[in-house]
Amino acid sequence: MTGPKLGGVIDKEYYAGDMKKIYNWVYNVNNLVGSDPYYAALKKQYGSIMTQFEKNSLPEKDIDAIFSYVAQEVANNAKPKAPGESTETATSSSQNAVIFGVISLILAVIALILMQVNSNLKKMSDDAEGIMRPEPVPFYRNKVYIAMVAIVFFVVGGYYVTKGAIGLQRQTNYQPEQPIYYSHKVHAGINQINCLYCHGNAWESKHAAIPSVNVCMNCHKAINEYAKGPKLYKENGEEVNGTAEIQKLYDYAGFDPKNAAAWDPSKAKPIEWVKIHNLPDHVYFNHSQHVRAGKVQCQTCHGEITAMDEVKQFSELSMGWCVNCHRQTKVDFNYDDKKGNKFYSIYEKFHNDIKSGKMDSVTVKDIGGLECQKCHY
Amino acid sequence: MKRFLIIAGFAAAGIVMVSCNKVRRSPGSAYMPDMAYSVAYETYAPAAERLKQSGAQYNGQPVPGTIARGEMAPYKYKNDSAGYVNSAGVVNPLPALDANQYLEAARLYLINCGICHGAKLDGNGPLYNGGNGPFAAAPRNLVSDPVVTGMADGTMFHSITYGKNTMGSYASQLTTSQRWMIVHYIREKQKAATGGAPKPAVDSAAKAVVDTVKKG
Repeated sequence: MTGPKLGGVIDKEYYAGDMKKIYNWVYNVNNLVGSDPYYAALKKQYGSIMTQFEKNSLPEKDIDAIFSYVAQEVANNAKPKAPGESTETATSSSQNAVIFGVISLILAVIALILMQVNSNLKKMSDDAEGIMRPEPVPFYRNKVYIAMVAIVFFVVGGYYVTKGAIGLQRQTNYQPEQPIYYSHKVHAGINQINCLYCHGNAWESKHAAIPSVNVCMNCHKAINEYAKGPKLYKENGEEVNGTAEIQKLYDYAGFDPKNAAAWDPSKAKPIEWVKIHNLPDHVYFNHSQHVRAGKVQCQTCHGEITAMDEVKQFSELSMGWCVNCHRQTKVDFNYDDKKGNKFYSIYEKFHNDIKSGKMDSVTVKDIGGLECQKCHY
Repeated sequence: MKRFLIIAGFAAAGIVMVSCNKVRRSPGSAYMPDMAYSVAYETYAPAAERLKQSGAQYNGQPVPGTIARGEMAPYKYKNDSAGYVNSAGVVNPLPALDANQYLEAARLYLINCGICHGAKLDGNGPLYNGGNGPFAAAPRNLVSDPVVTGMADGTMFHSITYGKNTMGSYASQLTTSQRWMIVHYIREKQKAATGGAPKPAVDSAAKAVVDTVKKG
């Protein structure tokens, strides 16, 4: 906890609903801590004080807005939740499905039992009345049963066959074993190396590019053991010796850590990493267009890379997946500020429509993101 | 016999189900992959045998002596001690950064340099992290270390291009002009840290550089 909670602070005895005291505090933090015993006590309690704000950077109406937001949140949290509200709605639909499934299963079993009982009773009454009928066929030769099982089999089987057929040539979750156990979690997650340090080409070209050995050696010239991170495991649970994996890199690089000065980078051999994300040849995809112009985060398509030891394909990379994103993604049309893309100034009609309120936002679809020849040519 | 076959069938199905691994190690198969696989050799596609035998690499270096379009002439000094000393006389060919170039230089610095030298240029990036990171040697503080503040622009460029001590070469990650931009960026940050003090004269800087060379 770095400071007192804001919720309800205005109702405290000291402030007693007086916003002027709050303004005074925000603009004169540094003076008040020395002179006012109330704030001196707070500083003693929390060990630090908040930053002082200038009136022009945080005007009084902004402070009012902050406090009305806080009051609103406090009121929302204090309100007892009605049953089935908010968090529960998401789970209740799946719970309903399970309940319906169980009920229909029970009903089906009861129906089967009743049908059996019915046929048995019929047989008994027939016996009592002395009517001779042929032996009833056992249920597994009963045509009605066979037909029902066949229909169920057809529906369930058809579902999986269709799903499998659609999945042909799609590689979601593809997670090949790489020549070196390279953990993105350790590099990009724990050690916070920027994605573009190694995959810098994603900013400049079609390919995100796989770094050559010299890029690995930039750091691994000095880092020759894996000692400080968490234990590493392969997907099958086998433990990985990180230091031995770095030694594999040295074998490719032709580097001897005991004689670092003698290293000749030109003798290095390339590491044959296994390509995971494969698009068919008839699709054009450009990384820089998405990363640089579109400002799409790497994780949007590649998943939580910073949490993956062995990388797997996160997205489907199907056409439906591409098109869906192009339909939903909004384009940053604010080219007036320096960060915006001036290219979008050519879409005069959209700018006029936004101004007149006809459109509230422009998606990739609107600027031609669904044209066939954007990706297939 | 028939019963035995049924039991055996169920047992086999059970083994198949159990041995199903959730980890997908194969890319799977394709049905009628029309135009799915490139006829030409694609970048990063598995190298065909013939390509491997010829020694071609998908990330080979550019042909010696070639210059990328729009790129400035390559750096003239070689990676040796004489080149290091001479580099002190090289002047940054780029004009001072404007606002947009400054942002771009900051981006390049944060991606490539900040990981060791720190986002604040204080020599304490995530890889060193006050000695808790995996990097054992402390990176230079780029704003206050006299070796860096007294270093000539050209020598700084030389070190980025070829690497220095445990630092590797960044010639493959940054183009010549990008490296000069980063030199500008570091100078700007140094100026800001010292409150806009003027750059040290080249002569004294060259001297400081020669001293460090002597020290090793």
